Amino acid sequence: MRSRLRGAVERLSRQRGVRASLIVSENDGLVVDSSLRFGEGEDSERVAALAASIYRKARLSADAAHLGAVSFLQLDADRGRLCAVGRDDLVLVVVAEPSANVGLIRVELFKALETLA
Amino acid sequence: MNVAAVESWIEAPLRRYVDDARARIAVLLHPSGQVMAQAGFTRDVDVMAACALAAAAHATAGELGRRLDGRAFRGLHYAGAVHQLFLSALEIPRGTFVCLTVFDDTSSLGLVRLYFDELRRDLIAASPAAAAPRPAPALAADFETELNRNLAALFSGPRGEAVIS
Amino acid sequence: MADEIRRWSDELAREPNSLVFLQLAEALRGQGQLAVALKIAQRGLDRHPGNADARVLVDRIATEQDAERASQQALAALAEASQLEATSKSAASRLFADLLMDDGQTALLLDDNGYVLGGLYLDGEGVDVGQDVGAQLSGISDEIVRSTRHLGLGDWRSLTFETEAAVVAMSPTPHQGLVVVAASRSTPLGLLRRLLDRCVTRSSAWLKGGEALGEAAPETDGRRGVLP
Repeated sequence: MRSRLRGAVERLSRQRGVRASLIVSENDGLVVDSSLRFGEGEDSERVAALAASIYRKARLSADAAHLGAVSFLQLDADRGRLCAVGRDDLVLVVVAEPSANVGLIRVELFKALETLA
Repeated sequence: MNVAAVESWIEAPLRRYVDDARARIAVLLHPSGQVMAQAGFTRDVDVMAACALAAAAHATAGELGRRLDGRAFRGLHYAGAVHQLFLSALEIPRGTFVCLTVFDDTSSLGLVRLYFDELRRDLIAASPAAAAPRPAPALAADFETELNRNLAALFSGPRGEAVIS
Repeated sequence: MADEIRRWSDELAREPNSLVFLQLAEALRGQGQLAVALKIAQRGLDRHPGNADARVLVDRIATEQDAERASQQALAALAEASQLEATSKSAASRLFADLLMDDGQTALLLDDNGYVLGGLYLDGEGVDVGQDVGAQLSGISDEIVRSTRHLGLGDWRSLTFETEAAVVAMSPTPHQGLVVVAASRSTPLGLLRRLLDRCVTRSSAWLKGGEALGEAAPETDGRRGVLP
């Protein structure tokens, strides 16, 4: 399991514009595995806790609004983007530059999610 | 949420912490069990109980850590059916405090730990400069007197009178 | 009472100077026929100007008639206000109607309390559930603001997520509002985001211009979004 998780994280981190990729426990907001670009200064625990919180909030809100389960989530901000997909209690998170190709990141996230199934 | 502190510089950092971490209740105490600040409690007897139990748990965990790792454990986490608990020490120039935080599924352990680190930084920034560290009470009689005084300060009414239930 | 009214009426017709006008006017007043009662009481007072009972009766009927007229005017004003409010609500609900490309798309403008300012969100049965949905989804924005602040990502611009039933996108507006756009799962994400941008532009202009509800809403054929 560990090698599959590590493999998934590393493949995601190789995408252009990706600053950090993590696998996070949605329930606890804790890092399961992570890969950060050298010198980028991202704090994986911080990213994990906050990304899990956003994903969880979106999931619960969508459920309450009778929209069903959330698959892909993308947050755009002035200085970066955050993308996430989830299954069961695991959330795959990518933090990327504003110019990153999100379409490609999305495809890779779903591929990575399949390897965790 | 009701936030009160024995020393006023603690109040703003604690309030920010419970807001950011979406905590249900929190209490900051001296390792001896003396309450320094509380958030979310409505009765002084609950604060007393929480402080006593937290101090005991912290002391136990510290000793276990020292026997296993040669140093005290960094923090404790208990997960209940509905509520979770995070207990950890805070080392600041004013001394060592213990913080007990209770949260539910509107927050997470990751978030609580994240904002706990910020609480420590905020307390360091807010603590009065050049003040001597608070000495631990040595005698049982002093402990009870200080405890009652602190509880009165935390639960005083609008005119400053004690409202102890 | 009807028989007595007829009898008094016949007697008054035979004897115009009869004081039976007092009972007749009083009986008609009691039945709510104020205009007729006042006419009979006034005619009787004209014939018997010194009759104190007649004067009291005329005053009482006139006062009741004024009160009834005022009440009817108030009801008319209320009905007019309700009609205006309905028109305003209708215009606000059509805020985005011309931007939505098919029946699978819907858009809402929410304030910072999660209350609906404009737009519609219809469920599969055609019921407007915008308030409930808006309240649920607006809670996400608080979480985002907190998180982007601590992640050092700057101000957030948009959130997009795919669910089993729909694709949803939301964005803050310059006036502390929130635009939420939802579409069927088959809608391309790029198209959804374009739609979001247009709705945000529309909302910003609408909020900034301070257009009164009911004014200058775009004329449409009433198309609105319904999610599957």
